[in-house]
Amino acid sequence: MRVTQGMLASNSLRNLSNSYTQMGKYQDQLSTGKKITKPSDDPVVAMKGMYYRSNLSEVEQYKRNLSESYLWMENSEAGVEHVNEALQRVRELTVQGANGTLSDSDKEAVAREIEQIKKDIMTVANTQVAGRYIFNGTNTSNPPVADGGDGAPQADLNTNSYLVEVSRGVSLKANINPDNVFSQELFDTLQGIQETLDGKGAGDLNTLLGTLDKRLDILSAERSELGARYNRLEMVEARIDQQEVIATRILSDNEDADIERVIMDLTTQESVHRAALSVGARIIQPTLMDFLR
Amino acid sequence: MRSTFMGLETARRGMFTQQSALNTTGHNIANASTPGYTRQRVNFTQTEPYPNVGLNKPQLPGQMGTGVEAGSVQRVRESFLDVQYRGENNKLGYWEARAESYTKMEEIMNEPSDSGLSQTMDMFWQSLQDLAVNPSNPGARSVVRQRAVAVTETFTYLASSLNGIRADLKNEITVTEKEINSLSEQINNINNQIASVEPHGLLPNDLYDERDRLIDQLSSLVNIKVDYTSSGGNASTLAEGKANITLLDANGVSLGQLVNGTGFNNLTINFNGTDESVKTVQLGTTQLDFQQFSSTGKLKAIVESYGYETSSGDVTGVYPDMLAELDNMAYMFAYQFNLQHEAGATPNQINGSTDETPAFFSDTENGAVDIENKKGMASRLQVSDQIMASLDNIATSSKENPTMGDSTNISALAEIINKPFKYGNNTESSFRNYYEVLVGGMAVDSQEAARLSANSGTLRQAVEERRMSVSSVSLDEEMTNMIQFQHAYNASARMITLQDEMLDKIINGMGTVGR
Repeated sequence: MRVTQGMLASNSLRNLSNSYTQMGKYQDQLSTGKKITKPSDDPVVAMKGMYYRSNLSEVEQYKRNLSESYLWMENSEAGVEHVNEALQRVRELTVQGANGTLSDSDKEAVAREIEQIKKDIMTVANTQVAGRYIFNGTNTSNPPVADGGDGAPQADLNTNSYLVEVSRGVSLKANINPDNVFSQELFDTLQGIQETLDGKGAGDLNTLLGTLDKRLDILSAERSELGARYNRLEMVEARIDQQEVIATRILSDNEDADIERVIMDLTTQESVHRAALSVGARIIQPTLMDFLR
Repeated sequence: MRSTFMGLETARRGMFTQQSALNTTGHNIANASTPGYTRQRVNFTQTEPYPNVGLNKPQLPGQMGTGVEAGSVQRVRESFLDVQYRGENNKLGYWEARAESYTKMEEIMNEPSDSGLSQTMDMFWQSLQDLAVNPSNPGARSVVRQRAVAVTETFTYLASSLNGIRADLKNEITVTEKEINSLSEQINNINNQIASVEPHGLLPNDLYDERDRLIDQLSSLVNIKVDYTSSGGNASTLAEGKANITLLDANGVSLGQLVNGTGFNNLTINFNGTDESVKTVQLGTTQLDFQQFSSTGKLKAIVESYGYETSSGDVTGVYPDMLAELDNMAYMFAYQFNLQHEAGATPNQINGSTDETPAFFSDTENGAVDIENKKGMASRLQVSDQIMASLDNIATSSKENPTMGDSTNISALAEIINKPFKYGNNTESSFRNYYEVLVGGMAVDSQEAARLSANSGTLRQAVEERRMSVSSVSLDEEMTNMIQFQHAYNASARMITLQDEMLDKIINGMGTVGR
């Protein structure tokens, strides 16, 4: 085959240009840290990349949702525990008040304390977290318990579940059923005890005590359920943490460039490029002209 | 009896011919870097020997040579390689233009990235989830609204950018059309010049080169076939004649003549289809449907990217298809989202308003998101005026339990993004999956175009190399020839000196006995 200067020059130029293309690719990979810069570099990596990104942002979102669940559950737990202690105190006071040896003024003193505890429980029922009533189901904009006049509390409870999505298709209830803690029956019982001790009402303290015990049982059942749900939330959190690590790793595996390898390739390409340049300079220079006088 | 001065004439012929060869060598060297130049060669032929046959021929032992003459000046070129080169150049023109239009599209779609449609949608979903967790929070509401605006703006941005490129492509089609016609005209002009030179028995080598260069250029735009008709007269057997250029379809069937011996036909691309798409192509007086046109090359690639009308009346093409898919997604998503949104109760309703739940998304021109107006939906999608007017028009709660803390409806809205619907074709898939497949399809097509472009580039390079191997000027070779011709010239000059000395002997040295 006849080889001419023009061919050598154009070949040499083409090889140099190819070499620049390769170096450009490696430099892109190094500076972006990604294997690909556009989908056509590797359609499969690109498609997977989109999917894994969505997956990761989902996991991150569920993690964010979890903290809201914690907020609700921990506040609910604190409220319920408070009510529990308050009711135990009411029970003691009622037993004490049922004792026939107490004078009317003593009974009245007990009644005052019970009244205060009742008001305290009302306050707890109207607990707001970040401006929302947490013991009123989904009706978070309205207080569940109001003063029905003459100090008797009126409970208007919404018992819907406040659901928080904690993973794809799985929603976890974040509130408690307020009917199991702040029921009208409870407030009626407290009001009954208070009035009986005040000598205004005609209730039987023993019957009322029975009702109070029943409410206490229901309350502890709700509290146990809340505890169990809290455990489940922690398990979900552990799993989501794990998922986040996996999702991040898979995303990285899929599209991140192997830097060591890219640097090696780049270095190799640089030496190839140098060689191409020096060969170009060497081949193109001499012609027969240099040897003719 | 031969002439006394015959030797002088032989040597003179030698000198003249070597001089012609040296001049041609000079021409070759001068044009060593001219694009499209083919090296030339002087064909040496011996002149007629002496004596000729005839009744009165002198009695000599044999015929004697009388020297050399320059028979013709010829291009060193192989036409078979031209055919191969043009074939590869044609494919390269097609795939290069196609790859370029896909590259632009990929740049616009910008996936996978932290700013494409997919990410915007993810962020919208996140904001919906945030609101679902905390439905009474006005901050979360406002984030939902802003992210929804971002989604509609991304749709609009994608659609308008794609439309922008499409407008550029239209310009490019017009420019390419002009280029084709200009090339046809130039080739025709050169044909005419060649036709006026050849009948005189001359070879217009430099015009041939120019014509071949123009045909090479034309071959990257449309698929062509070249054949030649003689210019008649006293043309040399080496004369190429006038070039006829036939436009071919993908299967090599003729669609008509671009250039023939008598003139050339203009090619016109008509934007007479729906949406200003290309419907027909006119060659001279012949009308061709673009679907039948199918002459590979740059022109076809850019028309295919821009969009053409098929026989069924649909517009198809790389850009129109992508725009239609964006419309599909924008329409179906907005429609389903509105449907779910309208099933919910807004805080305004919870607070006693009796207004209907408004649509979440609307169409800037036609109001409601309606399948009748699906076309162009991506560029017209917006968050509805009611939602923009009041954050409390976002329906978070269900109608069954209209309370501020109820997030049933907003959760269901977030779920719309993950739910499978019939976005474009008859299979159901979620918004993300559909979009992934769309981008994946584009990436595969783009990769194919880039790969075939590189392949045909390599093949063209290989043919180009072989062509250059035959036709291009080698300076070393010209130098060698120069030395060879120069020495031959010098030797012929020496022959004249020799003849002179011989004549001197005859004239001045003979018949002087006894002087």
